[in-house]
Amino acid sequence: MEGFFSVFTIELVNSGIRLATPIILAGLGGALCNKSGVLNLALESKMLLGAFVGIVSAYYLGNSYLGLLVAMAAGGALGALFAYLYHRYEVDLVILAIAFNLIISELTVYVMRVMFGNVGSWSDPSIVRIPDLEIPLLEKIPVIGGILSGYNIIVYFSWVAAIVLYIVLYKMKFGRHIRAVGENKEAAITVGINARMIQTLALVLSGMLAALGGAFLSIGHLKLFTRNMSNGRGWIAIAAALFGANHPIGTFFAGFFFGITEAFAVRIQNVTDLPPNLIELLPHFATLLILVFIALRDKIKESMARGRFRSKLKSESANAVKENSAS
Amino acid sequence: MKNKRFKKLLDAILVPALAIISGLILMAVLIAVTKKPIFASYGVLFSKGFGCVKSGNCAILTTLERATPIILTGLAAVVAFRSGLFSIGQEGQFLVASVVAAWLGYSIHLPNGVHQIVIILACMAAGAAYGYIPGILKVKLGVNELLATIILNTIATLFIEYMVQFPLRADKATTAHSPLIDKSAELATFMPGSKWGVGFIIAVAAVILVFIFLWKTKMGYEQRMAGQAKRFALYGGVASDKAAIRAMLISGALAGLAGAIEVLGVHRRIMTGFSVGLGFDGLTSAILGQTHPFGVLIVAIIFAGLKLGAQLGLQLKLGIPRELGGTIIGFIILFIAARKFYEGNITAIAGWFKRKPNQKMKREGG
Repeated sequence: MEGFFSVFTIELVNSGIRLATPIILAGLGGALCNKSGVLNLALESKMLLGAFVGIVSAYYLGNSYLGLLVAMAAGGALGALFAYLYHRYEVDLVILAIAFNLIISELTVYVMRVMFGNVGSWSDPSIVRIPDLEIPLLEKIPVIGGILSGYNIIVYFSWVAAIVLYIVLYKMKFGRHIRAVGENKEAAITVGINARMIQTLALVLSGMLAALGGAFLSIGHLKLFTRNMSNGRGWIAIAAALFGANHPIGTFFAGFFFGITEAFAVRIQNVTDLPPNLIELLPHFATLLILVFIALRDKIKESMARGRFRSKLKSESANAVKENSAS
Repeated sequence: MKNKRFKKLLDAILVPALAIISGLILMAVLIAVTKKPIFASYGVLFSKGFGCVKSGNCAILTTLERATPIILTGLAAVVAFRSGLFSIGQEGQFLVASVVAAWLGYSIHLPNGVHQIVIILACMAAGAAYGYIPGILKVKLGVNELLATIILNTIATLFIEYMVQFPLRADKATTAHSPLIDKSAELATFMPGSKWGVGFIIAVAAVILVFIFLWKTKMGYEQRMAGQAKRFALYGGVASDKAAIRAMLISGALAGLAGAIEVLGVHRRIMTGFSVGLGFDGLTSAILGQTHPFGVLIVAIIFAGLKLGAQLGLQLKLGIPRELGGTIIGFIILFIAARKFYEGNITAIAGWFKRKPNQKMKREGG
């Protein structure tokens, strides 16, 4: 049992924060899409695309930071394609997502094999992993420094992105427009909001964020690309967005929760002799439980709202009766 | 009246056919990237997928064998979609049932004939039970069935990997696999050289039964009503919650049947990497086959052939990665989804042929 508790260290938090990053980035994109009324189930494929394009362009351009930018551009382009097909040909977004999840997962392997020979995973010694940064003053503070400092730029970007997205969505006029489109598209169009533009923007931005999350996997965390590298993180990101009630800050902490779960699963393998497959199940069970929890929460909220409405109705009718009898 | 019916049939066939043709054209582009001969590739793809050189080496029979689980998982998807549930949990139900089949295949001993039936029933029950989870979560709590089934698929994949590597492992071979099932549990095959056999007959029977159930029985009508117009169905006295649960049970049982046939008829055991996305192929063939049982039957065979041709022909003979098959299938779904694109062009082309000197007449005709 002592071995079991030895898992809970600062390193657990560190690797939790690292593993949470792709989920947070894609989750923020998913939350933005949900807020603007487009269901984005293709985060998985956008993430995988980002992972592949990121490492390949880092290899050819000789600069991993440029690789990140190219990956984001690719994810954004895929998002734009979604928006175009959705608006121009009224393609069902769910089926579109299913199609692209299949296309990207097979096409990345196909292209990898055509370009680099018949391999299951690919890396090259010339590729440089995105370096970790020590934040000057912060790293000196005892415990907090250990937790908050020493990640690469993508991790910090994901924190900034959550805050920026929060400010845009809830503190700016443009954010009100976005939420208006998500809540009632027709009404928003009637008052002159360009709903098509906002939904396109949401799909493009979420594509860029998810692709950056994918690039984090291939050149920020590890230094290789393997078949189906995203491994369901896009779906977990969707659950994170729902868990966080589509609120950027909520999504951030939901993503962090999933990251910690995954880090815990990785670490516990070292101290127990449970079979690895069963431990790998942990994050997925957590996701399923979270989905159930979200549904319960919504259900309770709904019944409470109904209760409030009823009691209000009752008091109003009681008042009406009183007034009637008084006159 | 007859003309209308013909038009409906044409619509049902024309768009998928155009989508498949577009996919095959796209394939030429992807092959051109590898600098391999394009036309030879098509020849190899079709001869290795649908050809029949000599008896005992008949590609089409292997294609039918591979199509069997796709047909059944496709039917599972049809039942769920038609009942208004976007369940993509066929893969997970298929895998859970496979574990049950492999385990019962060697752990219990029954006479030939009884053994298969017992296993098939157990597998259908297992698949239905695994389908019941997202069903009850959807009905009681409103959990999105799409997300729930995706996660249940992952859980099943990891679970089968665990079962193969630990409790059911036969020996210390490098690739883990379960013991072979008893001879009495095997499903018979028709011809040497392929595993095409009784399983395919069961699948075709299932196609017909699902068609009869959905379109010729009262209960099936209720299922489709619950899927098409929930409020209308409620008003008409259909308990939509019950219909949803029933859909998930039937859908799970069909996917479970696929798992049973795949183990009893083809592999005779389970091994690591047993999950190769057969449930997903079924989903695809349901979408492409217009969520109709007969559509699924045709599309599943085409798919199985394309995949086999890509694997045996393109990869082994020409050195083109077999992922090409999956990529093309993905693009075909995309083209189907973009049917408005084809429909717009079909109308435009049809208008071209119908064009009469008098514009008014055209408007009346249209």
